Amino acid sequence: MKTITIDPITRLEGHGKINIFLNDQGDVENAYIQIPELRGFEKFSEGRRAEDMPQITSRICGVCPVPHHIASTKALDAAFHVDAPIAAKKLRELLYCGYIIYDHILHFYFLGGPDFVVGPEAPAAKRNIFGVIEKAGLEVGKDVIKHRAYGQKITAILGGKATHPVCGLPGGVSKGLSKEEVREIRDMVASCNTFAKFSLTLFEDIVLKNKVYVDLIRSDPYTLKVYNMGLVDKHDNLNFYDGLIRVTDQEAQQLEKFDVKDYTKHIAECVVEWSYMKYPYLKSVGWQGLTDGKKSGMYRVGPLGRLNAAEGMATPQADKEYKRMFDTLGGKPINSTLAFHWARLIELLYVTERAKELIEDPDITSSHIRNPVGTPGEGFGVVEAARGTLIHHYHVDKNGLIEKANMIVATTNNAGAITMSVRDAAKGVIHKGQVSDGLLNTVEMAFRAYDPCFGCATHTLPGGLPMTVNIYDHTKKLYKTVSQP
Amino acid sequence: MKTIVLGVGNPILQDDGVGLHVIYALRQEMHDPMITLETASTGGMNLLDLIRGYEKVILIDAIKDHQSTPGEVKRCLLSDFHTVHSCNPHDVSLSEALLVAKQLGETHLPSEIILIGITVNHTDEFGEHLSSQVSAALPTAVAMVLEELKKA
Repeated sequence: MKTITIDPITRLEGHGKINIFLNDQGDVENAYIQIPELRGFEKFSEGRRAEDMPQITSRICGVCPVPHHIASTKALDAAFHVDAPIAAKKLRELLYCGYIIYDHILHFYFLGGPDFVVGPEAPAAKRNIFGVIEKAGLEVGKDVIKHRAYGQKITAILGGKATHPVCGLPGGVSKGLSKEEVREIRDMVASCNTFAKFSLTLFEDIVLKNKVYVDLIRSDPYTLKVYNMGLVDKHDNLNFYDGLIRVTDQEAQQLEKFDVKDYTKHIAECVVEWSYMKYPYLKSVGWQGLTDGKKSGMYRVGPLGRLNAAEGMATPQADKEYKRMFDTLGGKPINSTLAFHWARLIELLYVTERAKELIEDPDITSSHIRNPVGTPGEGFGVVEAARGTLIHHYHVDKNGLIEKANMIVATTNNAGAITMSVRDAAKGVIHKGQVSDGLLNTVEMAFRAYDPCFGCATHTLPGGLPMTVNIYDHTKKLYKTVSQP
Repeated sequence: MKTIVLGVGNPILQDDGVGLHVIYALRQEMHDPMITLETASTGGMNLLDLIRGYEKVILIDAIKDHQSTPGEVKRCLLSDFHTVHSCNPHDVSLSEALLVAKQLGETHLPSEIILIGITVNHTDEFGEHLSSQVSAALPTAVAMVLEELKKA
């Protein structure tokens, strides 16, 4: 058996590595992503003051500080048996909208989107933000930067600090909003709404009106028939901040809907040979290995998982776009991995509308933003991070110290789906050991659609992005290495 | 010259946080209203937001170099790297962020960016403490930053 290793993935500067296993004929037999895991979080947390967890967990990852902060704060609400005042919940949700705005804009325009906006066959050097600016124009580039910064600014105003918020406390938040801040946020939100609508128009013009792209989206290698998971409100509409975790099946029927405190009854993890990643699966369906279909407990989260798992969007503009997406791509659920990008833009539109509702809500300037805490115990918190369902679970002792902490992060929830998507994409484009840059990019596109996020650590000097292909013989002995600058 | 010294790293990922420790040490050593000492646990576009408006930037960060032993301190320029940050899959590098900003006609970008890199080893396990080799490199790193500041 030959092994091809793609490392690192262009434009994905994490330590993620894709190993592709070929059979004797040089065709893809299997593929795995390998991600060095950050170890020892549980031990690190033990004995710490519970109220420090929103600050500590927001440092786990340079990408998702806001979702960790909010999931952690919600877990503390539960652990300290306190319900936050309505104003505090709305302030947290508004902060969250700001985060989704900058995170989704960054992914669409800088990372995942260029494959479409510039084109999957374009040279690698063009498939980036520079290619997008070249194609869409300088003014679009300026708007991208401006609105991403608005998202950051909104989270900074509400969170008390840019990037790493410090506002979350058990029972509420530490900071309210002044009238002046309300005006500032309202103007930024209005502008972001216009930009979200523009982004959907751009997607329509460049991607949806191009049959080649639509065919690519709907092609077999990018199709995965797994269960879908996401948070929903009481009307089964998508919600980022709160609600029940809903799972729908391959016919878009509800399989289950549960409170986060029951997550261990519904989700289990399995380890497979050749990868040290743990693969979560749905307990009620069972583990069948890394395979899709109704009998396999594999599921996916993130924008497409969420839209599939919900019945609609709670705001009118986004709901219209939601229906249009399902109508265009042949009904629910959509199993096309590349539709993640479209779903992401619909979510961007949704959060701008939701942010408008929240900033116009009279509660948002209330000074009642914290309730007194009760006796500590066990607590669970869940939010939808940009890239999927994120769960925090703490045991707090009677002195308010952490006894035990556990988390399931979004990319872990997606581990099985990402692995299968990479394998299937590889199967579609690598034949008889023929591998070129264009082909490898096709594989990476499957991976990037999920906007995966791995613990970030340090940097490699000289920091180049060489592509190294390691080929192993059937005894798994390295016999050849091919590197590309 | 309006200058920022920016230590970058994760405070709970052992040696990854060395850049922050250099800033903590510098705060004991110097008080100059013209020089901003700042820490950040982020990369790419967020770093760009922090250095906008300064003429000179001294970045202090952990680096991994398979040819070096942990605890070596190196002075580099951004051009020595194809990518600097963000070592995660959801951001662009600082170099890329700067290029975008330039292309879009942004002014107020630094004219000089110097990186003081400390080679590290232990970054895949949570912890607040630096390894002894990296900790021993702090005085050298601090001295190099002070030397850079004199050049301005």
